Formats: sequence, structure tokens, C-alpha cells
Amino acid sequence: MSETAIVFDIQRASIHDGPGIRTTVFLKGCLLDCLWCHNPEAVSAKPQLFFHFDKCTQCGDCAKVCEEDVHHFIDGKHTIDFEKCSLCGKCVEACNYNALKIIGKELSIDEVMREVMADFDFYSNSGGGITLSGGEPLLQFSFSMELLQRCKEMGVSTCVETSGYVSEVHLWEILPVVDILLFDYKISRSDEHRNYTGVPNDSILRNLDIAYDTGIPIILRCPVVPGISDTEHHFKSIRALDEKYPNLKGIEILPYHNIGNNKRTSIGTHETLADLNSTSPEVAAQWLEQLKELGCVKARIG
Amino acid sequence: MQKVDDFSMELNFTEAYRKNKDKHIAIREARCHQAQFPAVLTEILENDRLAGRTVWGWVGFSPHNAPGGAAYGYFCHDQKIIEAIERGNIPMDQRDGVHEMLHFWKKETSKAKVEAAFTQKMLPILFRDEIVSLPYNFKPMIAQPIYRMAGVFVDYEKLLRLGIPGLIFEINDYMHKSEASGGDYQLYEGMLIALNVFIDSCSHYERQAIQKANAATDPKRKQELRKLAEVLGKNAVAKPGSFYEALQLSWLYTLICGSLELGRVDIYLGDFYCHDIDNGIITEEEALSLMHSYWRLINELFRDVDGRVIIGGRGRRNEKNADRFAFLVLETMRTYGRAILPQTTLRFYDGMNPELMEKSISLIGDGHTFPLLYNDDVLVPGVAQAHDVPTEVAEQYMPLGCGEIVIDHMGFGTPSGSLNVLKALDVTLRDGIDHISGKRLGLPTGDLKDFKTFDEFFSAFKKQLAFFIEILADHEDLEYVESGKQAPYLYLSMLYDDCLARGKAIFSGGIRYLGGSLESFGSVNAADSLTAIKKMVFDKKLISADRLVAALDNNFNGYAKEHKLLKECPKYGNDDHYADSIMVELHDFMCNNIRDQRERTNLDWYLNVLINNKQNTILGRWVGASADGRKAGREMANANTPAGGNDKKGVTALINSLVKPSHKIHAGTVQNMRFGRDFFTSDRENFEVILDTYFKKGGAQAMITVINRGDLEKALVEPEKHKDLFVRIGGFSSRYIDLPRDVQLEILSRVTY
Ligand code: SF4
Ligand code: SF4
Repeated sequence: MSETAIVFDIQRASIHDGPGIRTTVFLKGCLLDCLWCHNPEAVSAKPQLFFHFDKCTQCGDCAKVCEEDVHHFIDGKHTIDFEKCSLCGKCVEACNYNALKIIGKELSIDEVMREVMADFDFYSNSGGGITLSGGEPLLQFSFSMELLQRCKEMGVSTCVETSGYVSEVHLWEILPVVDILLFDYKISRSDEHRNYTGVPNDSILRNLDIAYDTGIPIILRCPVVPGISDTEHHFKSIRALDEKYPNLKGIEILPYHNIGNNKRTSIGTHETLADLNSTSPEVAAQWLEQLKELGCVKARIG
Repeated sequence: MQKVDDFSMELNFTEAYRKNKDKHIAIREARCHQAQFPAVLTEILENDRLAGRTVWGWVGFSPHNAPGGAAYGYFCHDQKIIEAIERGNIPMDQRDGVHEMLHFWKKETSKAKVEAAFTQKMLPILFRDEIVSLPYNFKPMIAQPIYRMAGVFVDYEKLLRLGIPGLIFEINDYMHKSEASGGDYQLYEGMLIALNVFIDSCSHYERQAIQKANAATDPKRKQELRKLAEVLGKNAVAKPGSFYEALQLSWLYTLICGSLELGRVDIYLGDFYCHDIDNGIITEEEALSLMHSYWRLINELFRDVDGRVIIGGRGRRNEKNADRFAFLVLETMRTYGRAILPQTTLRFYDGMNPELMEKSISLIGDGHTFPLLYNDDVLVPGVAQAHDVPTEVAEQYMPLGCGEIVIDHMGFGTPSGSLNVLKALDVTLRDGIDHISGKRLGLPTGDLKDFKTFDEFFSAFKKQLAFFIEILADHEDLEYVESGKQAPYLYLSMLYDDCLARGKAIFSGGIRYLGGSLESFGSVNAADSLTAIKKMVFDKKLISADRLVAALDNNFNGYAKEHKLLKECPKYGNDDHYADSIMVELHDFMCNNIRDQRERTNLDWYLNVLINNKQNTILGRWVGASADGRKAGREMANANTPAGGNDKKGVTALINSLVKPSHKIHAGTVQNMRFGRDFFTSDRENFEVILDTYFKKGGAQAMITVINRGDLEKALVEPEKHKDLFVRIGGFSSRYIDLPRDVQLEILSRVTY
């Protein structure tokens, strides 16, 4: 039987996850829990209920069909007991306003391939292809491996975006079917890394080493969060990596955006960095300038 | 300009027509032109570098460029005249005449002549005088006649090569030969009178320019007006010898002949422009200043759905010069600023100077709605097949007004009828009865519940469509026959192949190709509705036929569940086979059935067009709720564009859908695509690839706009209709309507226009 995976989105015509026009396949599940994550619904490996509170009219239809007593209306507010949800999908069907959905769907390789191949002409004209992202795609290793192999067979170029917090062996095994690796670099100091993401970064950096040594083109992706990673020290470490790995294909800084916050409430987790606004383009440009001054000529805004 | 209630021109015109009623139609028309011009030509205004403005009368003659609601042949705008009578401002000595005139034209206008000739089959279907002009249709209609001779593209090259004197010389020659051989020489005689009217109009403006120059205090303006007078004086007596003279002549001719299109300006003005620049006769600055005046006149005098300035493409004998002029056109657009006209159109092909495309894309990125992009590599062979003409002829294809394709000075093809496809589906669900008025509008083909299979239902729908298509085709045919009987359209006949040589007027056997087109509206909604009916009623059986019709009758009120299910059915525009294949089947059926009408009629071609204009809104008003989830009375999707921003899978999926319906069987579609501003700046490379891939995959046309403030604001109010809006946020893109409110507002605040 062919592998399946829990996919939470397939975005076609994506132009921000590697070169050219791409189809980005987002897999669920990640071992990190970054404070600034803008896809908090990707963290859990399982499907989950998602509540679009802006769309809810409080009609109460969901509560009528739910057998697990998940939906409550208290003081004119629709509250949800996410823990109790058994993902039966009845309320999603009942809601006429699309306020509820279940994030994450089990898809087979064939199903994903069908969607990926539809844009083949766009890939070949633009140097694009598939990007496997997440979550952490290497966690659903056999699926990812097989999917990428299939892509290579079909002549679709492949990118994988990884947090780097994965098994060395898996990383090493998958690289031959990856054309470009998008490797996250979030925080330079390991203790701080653990504070903000839940895990230290030693093994991540070791994996970066391993990957780099294979000669695979790597684009370093650096989320920059004001007050956390917009520091001189962190920028200098980015520059240090740049020097250590002269053949890096690129360095992208990803300015913080607060969109993840709303989604956190939508899946029943707590807001983080609630007071932090999204980065303005001007500030992002300043960061870029700083990096360039440090000698990071490859840096650009992703 | 406010029209004063002086009807002297209209009365003179009517008198000229009456006096010559029994004379040759060419003489009659020429005498009418004499009454009309220069009388309807209005003053050269401050800053005008070109002469030629009009305020048409409420009675007159023009193929197309005449007051809206009356713009066809001999016209009489009853409504406006009655309004004037009501105002009571008509001079005493004209009053009886005005009343009499109103009565006189009732049977004499070109429209009345066509209506009087309606066949038995047309009578119950096509509405006649009983409707007021758009957008005030007050009746549900499926097929409606359109009265106008739109899409005039005269032979400007010949006009400029010969000038008026040269044209007179040639026509004179034909006249003598015809007279000698006992031919219809009076046709030529009429043309000569008409050309004299044209000369009078040049002289009229020449005198005006001199007077204005004398009165001007600013020395620069004085100088400009003197120059203009000189140019007009030259136009009256000689063929153009400079870019300025060529531009002035072509503009005034466009106006007087009643065209609303400018055509392939780069071919016919390119040589003049390059010659004058290269020889220091004119500076770039001066040329640009003239072009600005041209642009302003087009904007002030033409309607937003017309005014095609076409640049680029195959079949330009003077490609280098034409390209240089095309750059001037783009520079004019850039420096003039965003404007609704002209509808600058870039035709392009593999091998053309790529800079033209690059500059065009930059303009679009700066928020211009133009140029519209036309892919000659698809369209030239497409037109050759659809219109059934040789490739060299197809190379001279011209998209007119909203996008119907005709052939430059060889082939006419006015769209003379429109078909409301979604309304036809509306009645097919209900045995041919319109549920709004309770009247029969279509054939009795049964109720939805009577059909056992989807295919049977689809066949009934096709039967309804075929019925209306036949009537509309016959109507187009009839419109030409009656037009030809009543007038030779002199200014057109003298500059359309092969009228002079054949000694026949344009609509009486003179023109090489006489075609036509049918504007169909609501096809996308109809296809999506069919998809939903197929899926919900026949395949999955989640909604019964009765329940569906009840939901539609009630505009989904009380049927929220059904509404949701219908909205969630696959929709055209998402590269979804289920939905797209139904769209393709409907498209193929419509296009082929319409194209086959040429076997039944005298038309050289008769083709479907799926275009942009306001009819999707106007006609949608009388269509009930539809099975695709559209609510009653709401607009239908424009052209071939997915309904209500239903293309939610992104641009590549949209493109894959758009290229599925064939382009070899119709006379024009318009494909609307919206892109975020980033695509024109930081992501430009990818944007160009997307566009290039679209065109390589067989995309014929693209109307590209940048997502602007207005789009986002509308999306906030009606998110359901804007599922196609993708915006960039930091390092990723997201569907705008799915974003939380605060993020939406933040993005909105960053959009500058
Ligand atoms: S059914 Fe939908 S709209 Fe109604 S209360 Fe539940 S979530 Fe809100
Ligand atoms: S998915 Fe099922 S269990 Fe979960 S909230 Fe909805 S109805 Fe209740």
C-alpha cells in the first residue's frame, strides 16, 4: 500500500518557498514549538478542529449535532472545548457559514502527485517544482521520501524546508532526492533556542554541517523576530554561518508576522507574543541593510 | 457639454432626408451628412492640439458613434426629444417641426426598418420598441437584439496615403467608369459629396483655429493654433505630409465616419512619426504633446467600452517604425496617467521586440488597466480557423470595443445580439417558463424533475440555446440587409475593401467579408450551475429536483443547507476536471452551434464572443437565484472569468482551466486576472514566467490588473465574491478573505491605489 500523510495544505502557484513557481505541500507535525510560528496549526501531527471565529454567527447549529459537547455559548460567546473533539466532522458539515473546519487530511502519494503534476508546465518554465514544508516534513519520513522520489522520476525539481531538528539518518537518506534544501536558522544561542522553540539547536547545527558536506545547495531561512532575534549578536552569527559555509545558495530573512496569533485561538491554544506587531517593510529593510553591512551579501528578504 | 434645445440641425437633417427620400440612397445619405457636418462639430477647446469634437444631435446618421441608446444608422432619440419638449425650451418656430420630426422618424429610423422586417419567428422572442435603453431593461429577456454597426476599422493607411484629394481622384475615376458602363455610379457620386462635406469640416475648423489664434494672448498657444490651422488647411487640399497632418486627418475621419475605434495606429502613423523625428521635423516632446491631446479627445468623446488603439503584432509591413510608434503610445499612457481610454491593446508574438511587452507589464504594474494583451501566436491561427480566412487576412484581426474580433478594413462583424445563457438555464429548469414574470420565454422542454439523467437535462438546455441562437443569427443577417437597403454608409464604403472596386456599398455586397457575432453572457455561471445540478441532483442525489427549484425560487432563504452544498460544488477556474469539463462542453456547444449559423444565413462568419462589459450585471438583474449559489438578481461572471472569484486555487490552476475551452471557434474572449503589486516588482520574474506559460499553453488574451484598494475593500464587504484575491504577507502568500480582520486591514492600509 502506498504511503499516506496528514497534509494540512497544498498551495499552488507558490513563489516564496524556493526558486520559480512551486507547489508547496504542507505536512502536519513538528517537534518545535516556536513562539513566533505562523502556522501553529501545523505543530500537532494529528488533524484538528479549527474555528474561524470571525465567521461565526452564533446560530448554534454546531452544538446541536455535536455528540461530544464541544460547543458552548456562554455570555453571547461561542466557546469550544477543543480537547473533547473526536473529529467526527458533523459540526463542520452543519455550519452553514464555513466557520468550522478540520485541519489536516490524510492524503495518499497519488493524490498529492496528481495536484503537483498539474502545474508541471509552470515548473519547467520557471525552474520551480515541489516544496515539501510543514510542520516538519521529515517527521513523516517514508511518505516524504517516496513522494520526492516520485517527483524526481517525473522530472519535478524538489525543495524541502526543514527545521533541522530531525534524525541525522533521515536527513542523510533523503538528501539525494532533494535539489535544494531550505534550512531554518532561528536563534544562535542554544539555551535561548530552547527557550523560544522548545529544543536546543546543537543537533540542528550538526545536521546543517552534514547537509552542507554533501554539497547540496542550501538556502538558509532565518525568521527574524523583533526583540528576540533582531540582535546584533544573532545577525553576526548569521554572518558567521555565511563565512563557514561559503557555498550557501542564499540567505533569506523572514520578518515576523503576527498572523499566527489568531490561528492559535482558532485551534484552542494560547496566544504568544500577543503584543508584538508585524514587522513593517521599513524595519525589514533595515535588517537587511545591517546584514549586508556585516558582509552578508547573499541575504535577501524572503 | 450641455445640449441646448435648439433643433435646427435636426430639422435640417430631417428636411434633407425627406427631400431626397426618393433619390438614390447614396445621394440621400450624402445630403444628410451635409446637414450634419460641420453642424455637430464643436469647438476646439483650450489645450486641444487636434481639432475634432462632436455633440451629436438627437436625430442624425452614424454607424455607431451617436448618442447612446440610438447609435445606429439613421437615428432619432425619442426619449431625449420628448425630454426637451417637456422642458419647454425649444424655440417657438421649431416646435411644430420637432413634433412632426418625432412622428416622421418613427417609421424611418434604421432600427424601425429592421423591426418592421422581423420574421414571424422573431416577433414573439425579440423585444422591439417596448424597451428603454440599457441599463434600464425592465423585462426578463433571453435573447436581445443590439442595434449599432460597431467595430468600424477603416483603411487608415489608404486614407493617409492618398489624402482626401487622392481619394476623390480615385472615386472620380471609378464613377466615370461606372457611368460609362451603366453601373451604379451614384454610389460614387454620394461619396464625393460626402468627401466635400469632410473638406468643409476641415475648413470649418481651420477658420476656427485662425480666429482662436488671433484671439489668443499667450504666444505659445497662438503659435499652436496657427500650426493647427495650417495642418487643417493642408488636410483639405493635400495628402498628409507630416505626422501632425496624419494624426489630425485620421482623428477627424474617425469622428466623422462615426467610428469609435482607432485601429492599428502603429502601422498607419509609424512611418510619419519616424520620418518627422529622424528629419528633425518634430521633437519627441512635441509628438508626445499631440498624443496627449489625442488621448484626451478619446477619453472625452468615446465610451468606456470602445476606443481601441492597437499596437504590435503580426502583419505589420513597417515593423521597425511601427514598434517605435508603439513605444510612443506606451509613453503616452505612462505620462498621461491612468485613464479608462483608449483601450490600448498590445498584440504580440514570439519574436517581437520583447521590450514592448516589458514596458506594457510595467504600466500594468503601475495600476493602468491597459494594455490588454493579445497573443498572436494563438489568435492568428485561431481567427484563420474561426473566421475561415487565409492567414494573411487573419493577421489583420482587430479586437473591437469589448473584444469581438473583426478584420481590419476587410471584414465587418458587428455584434447584433446578446444571449443570456444563465436565463436560458433558468427557464430550462421550469419548462420554458420565466418564474419571475410567469410568462413563457423558452421552449416547453419539461421541468427539472422530469429528467431522468443529467445528459437529458443538458440536451434540453442545448435545445433552448439553439432556438435562440438561430433567431439571433437571422436577426444579424436581417440587420445588414435592411441597413444596406437604407444607406450605403458612405464613409465606410469608400475605405473598406472591396466596395469601390465592386461598385457596391459595404452592406450591399461591397465588403469582402461580412460577418457577425453573438455576445453571450452568463456562460460561466450556467456551467457552474450545471455542475452543481449534476453533482447534487443526479450524481449524489443530495438535493432533489423539487427541493433545488424551491431553493432557487426562494433565493435560498430557508435553504441554507442547500445553499452551502451548492456553493461547495466544484467550480470552473480551479483546474477541476468535473467542473471544467462541463464548461468546455457548454462552450463547445455554444461556439459550434453559433458558428454553424453561417450555413443557414448569408453571413461569412457568425461567432460567439465572451466579453467584458456591463451586460453581465444588467442581464443578471432579471435572472433568479442560480444553482451555482449565485443569489437572485446578482451579476453574472464577466466573460470567461470564474464567477465571483471562484478561482481559489491560485493562478496556475486558474490558467489551467482558462486554456481548456478552445480558441478556434469563437471571435473573442476576455480573460481577467488579478495580481498583487509584488508580482510587478520583487516577484516580476515569476510573474513573467506565469504569463509566458499561460500564453504558451494556448492562452489567447489577458486583461491583467493589479489588486488595488478598491478590490480589497470590496473583499472585506463581500468576501464570498473575492476568493481569488491572494496577497503577500511576509514570506508567504495567503488568500485575502481567509485572513483575520486586523491583518486584512493592515494590508489594506499599505496599498497605495
Ligand atoms: S454552526 Fe457555525 S455559525 Fe453556527 S454557531 Fe456553530 S460555528 Fe457558529
Ligand atoms: S468534529 Fe464532531 S466532535 Fe468535534 S466538535 Fe464537531 S461535532 Fe463535535
